[in-house]
Amino acid sequence: MTLGLLPLRPLDASADGFRNDALFNVTMLMVTVLFVIVTGILVWSVVMHRKGRHRAQYERGIGRRHLLFTIVITAVIFFGVDGTLLVDSYLDLDQVLWKFPRAEDHPLEIEVLAQQWSWNVRYAGPDGRFNTPDDVVTLDDLHVPVGRAVVVHMKSKDVVHSFYLPNFRVKQDVLPGIETRAWFAAKRAGTYELGCAQLCGVNHYKMRGLVTVESADAFDGWLRTQSAIGKARWDEDDTDAHWGWPWD
Amino acid sequence: MGLIFSRDHKVIARQFLWLGLAFLAVGGAMAIVIRWSLAYPGRAIAGYVVTPSSYTTLFTMHGTIMIFFAVTPILIGAFGNFLIPLQLGARDMSFPTLNMVSFWTQLVASIVAVAAWLVPASANAGWTGYPPLSTPVGTPGIGQTLWTLALILAGASTTMGAVNYITTVLRERAPGMTLMRMPLTIWGLWLTSILNALFVPVLGAAMLLLLSDRLFGTHFFVAGVMVRAGGDPLLYQHLFWIFGHPEVYILILPVWGIVGDLISFFARKPAYGYRMSVISMATVTVLSSLVYGHHLFVAAMTPMLGRAFMVLTLLISAPAMILFLNWMHTLWRGSIRLEVPMLFTLGVLFVFGVGGLTGLFLADIPQDVYLHDTFFVVGHFHLIMAAAVFLGSFAAIYFWFPKMFGRSMSRTLGTIHFAITLPCLVVIFGGMLLLGNAGMQRRLYDPSAYELFRPLRPWNVALTHTAFLLAAAQLLFVWNFFASLLRGKPATDNPWSVGTLEWTHTTTPPGPHNFAEIPTVRHGPHEFNHPQLDGDGDKDWLGQAEKLPGDPE
Repeated sequence: MTLGLLPLRPLDASADGFRNDALFNVTMLMVTVLFVIVTGILVWSVVMHRKGRHRAQYERGIGRRHLLFTIVITAVIFFGVDGTLLVDSYLDLDQVLWKFPRAEDHPLEIEVLAQQWSWNVRYAGPDGRFNTPDDVVTLDDLHVPVGRAVVVHMKSKDVVHSFYLPNFRVKQDVLPGIETRAWFAAKRAGTYELGCAQLCGVNHYKMRGLVTVESADAFDGWLRTQSAIGKARWDEDDTDAHWGWPWD
Repeated sequence: MGLIFSRDHKVIARQFLWLGLAFLAVGGAMAIVIRWSLAYPGRAIAGYVVTPSSYTTLFTMHGTIMIFFAVTPILIGAFGNFLIPLQLGARDMSFPTLNMVSFWTQLVASIVAVAAWLVPASANAGWTGYPPLSTPVGTPGIGQTLWTLALILAGASTTMGAVNYITTVLRERAPGMTLMRMPLTIWGLWLTSILNALFVPVLGAAMLLLLSDRLFGTHFFVAGVMVRAGGDPLLYQHLFWIFGHPEVYILILPVWGIVGDLISFFARKPAYGYRMSVISMATVTVLSSLVYGHHLFVAAMTPMLGRAFMVLTLLISAPAMILFLNWMHTLWRGSIRLEVPMLFTLGVLFVFGVGGLTGLFLADIPQDVYLHDTFFVVGHFHLIMAAAVFLGSFAAIYFWFPKMFGRSMSRTLGTIHFAITLPCLVVIFGGMLLLGNAGMQRRLYDPSAYELFRPLRPWNVALTHTAFLLAAAQLLFVWNFFASLLRGKPATDNPWSVGTLEWTHTTTPPGPHNFAEIPTVRHGPHEFNHPQLDGDGDKDWLGQAEKLPGDPE
């Protein structure tokens, strides 16, 4: 997204992405103030104390007074800026990023198997269990309902990938051999992009999928239709297609 | 033969300088082609079309070459070798033969690295070489194997240098040259060498395991349903960044040292809070080994580790801030000479300021989750590892060129070089921050594959054109360097009027054993406008070995 020519963050389609953006804005404000002050002093020093204006002062900055001066300024900036950042981030971690929805919240659980260079997506289907005939399996096509928390369980088939939803402020590496997770909730219907953020080979730039956010009814309808089609085409012997995995 | 297989630290320093500058040119040319491709994917440049595969090779080799074959030889190989004995009052390094072997190992490593790039199946896994992409699963072919080998060899060279530098600083100082009288440049180089000795071997270990996976079919780093192997790809990421994060400080610490000295030299004021600065640099050195986990915030890290690494990463900003405050305080009420090395030094302060502040965003986990692996990260680390490090290297080259080659560089050309270079660097890497914040990932051959990034095209084009201007400005430097080498004004022994030993006690250029007589050191490196010098005419500096009335014999 751009404002005129100025690049801005992509449209925020998630329920909690605004927190991430707010954190960025607060940090930006703090570092801009710091930067302007520091640059101002630097320019002022260079202009006011350039050669020929006066003799340089002999000041080695040794002694308790100087030490205290430097430490106090450092402490003010450190606890002010870094402290604010740390507290805000901890809140964000506890309240959003690492606060995965619990089972009683009935999140939508999805399995993603990344491979060079596409995203295999699997829904459990009506029976609620993965790797069964009524599963819905798509390629580069993620469907989620508005307002319901989505938990994505990920594995990679080959190399390291990274599940990246810029419009939802979500990013999580996908590794072979272990399962990783991420969660989000969509608040705005529409079509968005799913990308890979970790170099995964020559066609890394093509590893792109779409995310369709739709109403709960539309989503349920889509899932039912797809499940019926999938069930009709279920082939017990095609073991490669049964890449889903059980988990709790 | 004496000039080729030389054990003289000054000759080896120049050999490292030529090698580093040559690779800087190669790495820079690669950057230009990468930028071209980002603006105009698939369009020919000078008859050469960048394909997705050659693009991947280009950014892989650009990173590898710049870090291991350009910056390391220039800053550590060339200036470390040249300055450590000269500034400490030593006749040579502790181990001159090891020093020579270090250079020749680096040269062999460089040749292998070029081969990794030019062979048909070239290295293709990024400068970080994450497995399984860097194993035969993702990148079969000889190029990636050569890449692994090149890093092992370069690491061996760096480790040899590090052992030598550490020992030389500890054992070869002139009488009276206490640790707290060493120029800050030497502090920077010494702390860097300690980090190199501790952490480059970790990279070596990771590369050996990777090589084994590639050549002998082991599965240290291979896993997944397809290969049905039980290795651990994450282990490599840990090993790589245990080295990789200190590496950032390995490259910036010498620059901090150089900046600390040059600010004092050209403000004609003692370096403010010298001891505070030294302690801060040492603190950063220690902390730098405890923060690497912030590279793995989205990789799969337990929350407890994530929080710990976040706090440790934020901690590093405190000593960095003290250093910065001391630099500013040194400028304050100085008598500032805007000579070319000083301009570049001030440039370092500026870009390091921006680069350091943008690190705050990446240090904390929620923000890093969004910004990770985007151009924000690319802009951030280029501001430090490219902009600050190269501006610092230029400052060092302009400053020590007369001592190295006996002639002066042109001030006019140097000033123009600076005036174009600094704004270009800020625009290019600052622009990358904006693109990253707009969501654009790194390492995309064609960003317009994503609809989201199509509106960013004008920015990519503008940054590319700025990069062309930046490259053109570097031709001024090349011209200045060679013209001065051949026809520059012969330099006096101490053209900058400073008090460190390489200027006060050696000829220009220094003779075979550096010093006619090893001086006895009595003062710190930054004694300008000392009260006891009052009324001494134009001379406002005090040599480190100069005797003041009242000094003991």
